[in-house]
Amino acid sequence: MRIAEVIGTVTLSRCHPMLAGYRWIIGVPYSLKALKTKTAPDGEDFVILDELGAGNGHQIGVSEGGEAVMPFYPERKPLDAYCACILDAIEVK
Amino acid sequence: MQLAIIVGHATATVKHPSMTGWKLLIAQPLTMDEKPDGEPQLVIDNLGAGLDARVLICNDGAGTRKLMDSKNSPVRWFVMGICDDR
Repeated sequence: MRIAEVIGTVTLSRCHPMLAGYRWIIGVPYSLKALKTKTAPDGEDFVILDELGAGNGHQIGVSEGGEAVMPFYPERKPLDAYCACILDAIEVK
Repeated sequence: MQLAIIVGHATATVKHPSMTGWKLLIAQPLTMDEKPDGEPQLVIDNLGAGLDARVLICNDGAGTRKLMDSKNSPVRWFVMGICDDR
């Protein structure tokens, strides 16, 4: 589960029927250097399915791969990034 | 399974219900010669790994779900061992 910062949202005009009606946000993952120096995240941005209502600037935990579909168990969705938590605070030495 | 070092921790109030009560640590996966390998990962922990602890993290989703006793948890990485210091 990587840490990402929300920078925007995406609205889909046409999509796979199993993905209809969800909220999509764009997240940029943090590298260790960005976390330690408290600078802006510097990874490659990607689209995440969000059910928790994460707004712009929030730091979120993004579940990726097979585990991103698990919250919809037993239903299977074509999905590989899911917002699992909205982080209140991050402490990095 | 991969070697990692704990670099911090995180707290989250709004999260997937299966994650309530679990400690959330930030672990930086390491290569065998102790160099950072990829981006830091949020891992759940019930072994009490402290800051700067070298741990063994595992990304077996099925194992995590068994550990968390949940069928639909999005968590993947968990601390499965704390390495003794050399």
